[in-house]
Amino acid sequence: MYPAPFHYHRVDSLQDAISRLAELGDSARALAGGQTLLVWMKLRFDEPRHLVDLSRIPGLSDIRLEGDEVCIGALATHAEITKSAVAAAIPSVYDCGSGIADGQIRSRGTIGGALGSADPSCDWPVLLHTLDAVLTCTGPEGTRSIPVSELVEDIYTTILQPAELITGIRFRMPPENSAGAYCGFKRCAPAYPTASVAVQLTLEDDICSEVRIALGSAGLTTVTSKEAENILRGSRLTEANIDKAAQAIVAAAEPVPDQRGAEDFKRAVLHSLVKRAVDIAMRRCQGETIGVHREYV
Amino acid sequence: MSWIGKSPERKEDQRLIRGRGLFVDDKQSYGLLHLHLVRSPYAHAQILSIDVAAAEALPGVICTLTGAEVKDLMPESFMELGPEPAASIRDYPLAVGKAIFQGEPVAAVVAETPALAADGGALIEVDYDMLDAVVTAEQALEDKDILHESAGTNQTWQGVYEYGEVDKAFAEAATVVAIDRLHFHRFASTPVENNAVVAEWLPHGDLNFFCNNSFVGFAQQLLAPALGISVDQMHIKTHDIGGSFGNKISNYTQMAIAALASRKTGGRSVKWVETRTEHLLSSGHGNERTFLDTEVALDKNGVITAVRSRHIDDCGAYPRYEPLGCVIWSQVLPATYGVRNFRIDFSQAVTNKCPAVPNRGYSRMQHLWFMERIIDICAHELDIPADEMRLKNYITEFPYTTPNGCVYDSGNYPAMLEKAKELIGWDDWKKKQADARGEGRLLGIGIGTTLDSGTNNFGQARIMNPHLPFSGNSEVATIRIDLQGSVIVTLGSGPSGQSHETTASQVVAEELGISPDLVRVRSGFDTGWNTFVGHSGSYASQFAVTGLSAVHGACEKLKAEMRRLAAFILEASEEDLEFGIGDEGPQLSVKGTDQAVNYWYMGNLVNNDNAVLAGELGDVTLNIRHVYRPPFTVPDTERKYGNLTLTYAAQLHIAVIEIDRAFGHPKILAYAAVDDCGTVINPKIVGGQVHGATAHGIGAAIMEIFQYDETGNLLTSSFSDYCPITSMNMPDVQYGSIQTPSPFSYNGAKGMGEGGGAPLHTVSAAIQDALYGEGVIVRESHHSANSVFALLRDSDESTGVQVETRQ
Repeated sequence: MYPAPFHYHRVDSLQDAISRLAELGDSARALAGGQTLLVWMKLRFDEPRHLVDLSRIPGLSDIRLEGDEVCIGALATHAEITKSAVAAAIPSVYDCGSGIADGQIRSRGTIGGALGSADPSCDWPVLLHTLDAVLTCTGPEGTRSIPVSELVEDIYTTILQPAELITGIRFRMPPENSAGAYCGFKRCAPAYPTASVAVQLTLEDDICSEVRIALGSAGLTTVTSKEAENILRGSRLTEANIDKAAQAIVAAAEPVPDQRGAEDFKRAVLHSLVKRAVDIAMRRCQGETIGVHREYV
Repeated sequence: MSWIGKSPERKEDQRLIRGRGLFVDDKQSYGLLHLHLVRSPYAHAQILSIDVAAAEALPGVICTLTGAEVKDLMPESFMELGPEPAASIRDYPLAVGKAIFQGEPVAAVVAETPALAADGGALIEVDYDMLDAVVTAEQALEDKDILHESAGTNQTWQGVYEYGEVDKAFAEAATVVAIDRLHFHRFASTPVENNAVVAEWLPHGDLNFFCNNSFVGFAQQLLAPALGISVDQMHIKTHDIGGSFGNKISNYTQMAIAALASRKTGGRSVKWVETRTEHLLSSGHGNERTFLDTEVALDKNGVITAVRSRHIDDCGAYPRYEPLGCVIWSQVLPATYGVRNFRIDFSQAVTNKCPAVPNRGYSRMQHLWFMERIIDICAHELDIPADEMRLKNYITEFPYTTPNGCVYDSGNYPAMLEKAKELIGWDDWKKKQADARGEGRLLGIGIGTTLDSGTNNFGQARIMNPHLPFSGNSEVATIRIDLQGSVIVTLGSGPSGQSHETTASQVVAEELGISPDLVRVRSGFDTGWNTFVGHSGSYASQFAVTGLSAVHGACEKLKAEMRRLAAFILEASEEDLEFGIGDEGPQLSVKGTDQAVNYWYMGNLVNNDNAVLAGELGDVTLNIRHVYRPPFTVPDTERKYGNLTLTYAAQLHIAVIEIDRAFGHPKILAYAAVDDCGTVINPKIVGGQVHGATAHGIGAAIMEIFQYDETGNLLTSSFSDYCPITSMNMPDVQYGSIQTPSPFSYNGAKGMGEGGGAPLHTVSAAIQDALYGEGVIVRESHHSANSVFALLRDSDESTGVQVETRQ
């Protein structure tokens, strides 16, 4: 478990990071928490010649509220987010962050790194889809905003340009009548989820006025379905239409059979988790306090 | 005060909790070199060429080794325990000519640092020609693709175990239940410390070998001839070992490379520390067993009268120690049941998978699972409640001689069942189960009874291979009063977490009337420092009997010397002396007087001041070595008959499991474990072993499996895919015990560390109970949500079970 030799560069500012990455080109990787990259390097699946360590760049791990907008720095760790006021105010953020891997990984891994890895098993991207998050990205060409739904092109591939970095994540604080849930099914703590589901619902007089559903570990990228959302939007949430919506989004999924399970099994898990997440989100909308629903095995 | 049955502070904890243990990777020395192994990415491939030039040119790389070179350096390949054809298998630490499992080492690099060694490894170019992989034992037995050309067949062992009057029992049966196929899956107990060694080939030809093998008494007998030195030239040492569970019995093959590498570098120390992925790929998996064409004869009362079946072990790429697994299961032939008639056709096959090694519950667990599946399937088919079925069939008279001559020392299975039912709240769960079924929920209650046979008779190896020069068993201990009066004990056992220092000190304290903190126990195997015998090691649930009987015997001899010496010093009669602790430490005193002599005085007299001693005490050294030998005879190898183990600890577990209908997730709602290991030396340590074995078993039953694809590629070669159980996956275990002391051990204790895999039987039984109404018969031992989902999905397919009722 020793990576191939590489040069280590520590930078103190975002501009330095970008210019260093631009200068080093393809043989360089940006290092945030290292919980994906370093594992890949140790297995020699990836052998970059240069690592540019972003961790000393000030200000990139802040978590704050600007008006009704939540702003999370890309270098905020899973643990920092989970312990933040944002997670206390938005239960689905707590659901998601507290269920990522184990304590050691949560203490090191960052939200920006999870997004940038474009791994369909990562938890944050799935949740952020349902919060309509927008990513702030800065590169040699300047700063731009990318909706989370547009970041990932294919498995392990983003639309980020060379030397372009995710610096922050922004989303609107859900209104009082809106709530979400994130449910994953994992075999054990350090494993990636076999399947995961995020839901965000807005209820107006028992009618679902807005809804977002996203699935993780359900295909090569995060899976969403306008059809499923349309089934619920504008309706009273009943067992029948929740099931119909679940069927619609699971039909859009393309889970890959692997050591975590067969395709039909994964579809069954996803279907079950959609129903569970909608149920939790609905009850949270109605003011119920529901803690994390997490089961292993 | 008595120290038996108490839980004093563990002696090991002070060292281990403070980070003052000495594990192999802690070992540092000047000029230490590091070894990296290059492994085959293919399960079965011809090695066309290996180019080491670029690696050797890398600065910091000292040398490389390939299979061809290793074959030249070794006077012979490692001995295989099996008879022909297995005996013709050539087993070298690096693949020679052909790689036969994914992860098999094909080349080695020695460098100044571990990272440089790995860099060198990446520069070695191996040209492979991929061959078809054989990934199941049934496929292997077809002999289409032969793995070991020297053996000429993939079947490495075969034998029939037949006892009683099987055909008569079937002819007279009221009911015959036939089960087409049962399968026990591949997993391992994944010790926290991977395999590791530091080897130093000294200029005068001796070899220092600091490693974490758990059965060194045996390993040294295989290593020395393969390395071309005598056992006496091998200074093998172990110290702290982070778990073994049997997995570290067979790690000597890869470790040998470090020795050869040290020799090639001119005697520099070479360290090899396995990574986790390497461990999961290649260090050893528990054996996988398939049970075909099983038939069970029952009388009209539901009592099983006969079993016939065909069993196949998949031992992976090399049989090594593993053919013993073809016999060891027969220590528990009838499990906990009074069945007298058996015919088991047992064979073993090699496949292109990681070699199988002993794993907690070794070989017996697979068979006990098989017998428990039989009990539950028959109970369900005959509509007999699972608890009643067991009570009808349990052995109740002890000692009990099994059909193959094993003697079950003691036990009380009905009492264990009663206790487990009480712990779990049986009646209450039965009501809840009825309610749940009314609501269409899938709730099952399962019982698993298991045995942990301890202190084995190595004579059983001759049933597998009559030419093996092994039989009986032994363990050794020394005890001495040193020149400062300290009590020093050494053990041959080499523990890997079983608290031998603590329990040995309890036995000594008990015998000498002192306290455990006054006893210094040097544990760890050391051919240069401690004493050892050929059976020395920590394996097969035997320390409480074999190891502690050696300690006890040593104490008795020491006490006899101390009495003679004290009687001389105090001018008293030996009968008037008593052992105890006085104002000046541990002592012998004359009963009813203030006359006493302490250990310091005695130790000094013998070691420093011996002119004072009378001539007749010239044989008193206060330095005792005692070897304990259990009373075994060599089994009848023709009939496969004899007493194969000394003690039989038992465990009975009950689980309540609810299955999520939507996707098969089996959730354990309640769990009880009752243990009977005879007299308990240290309840806390026994409790720890029971909980650990329960966790390993639940992990195996629900989470852990080595999954191979059809090309022999291991899909679960990291912990995030293999998913070993952690406390977060554990249910609360309601734990209880009963004690039926063994009449065959001096202290009534029975070995109990392996635990017998009870959760595997129990979880299968509970899932069977939950799903029987759905038309499902549980025929596999692994129950991830994915596999339970498949059981539900395929519930309209054949169950593979047929019942023939004749009366």
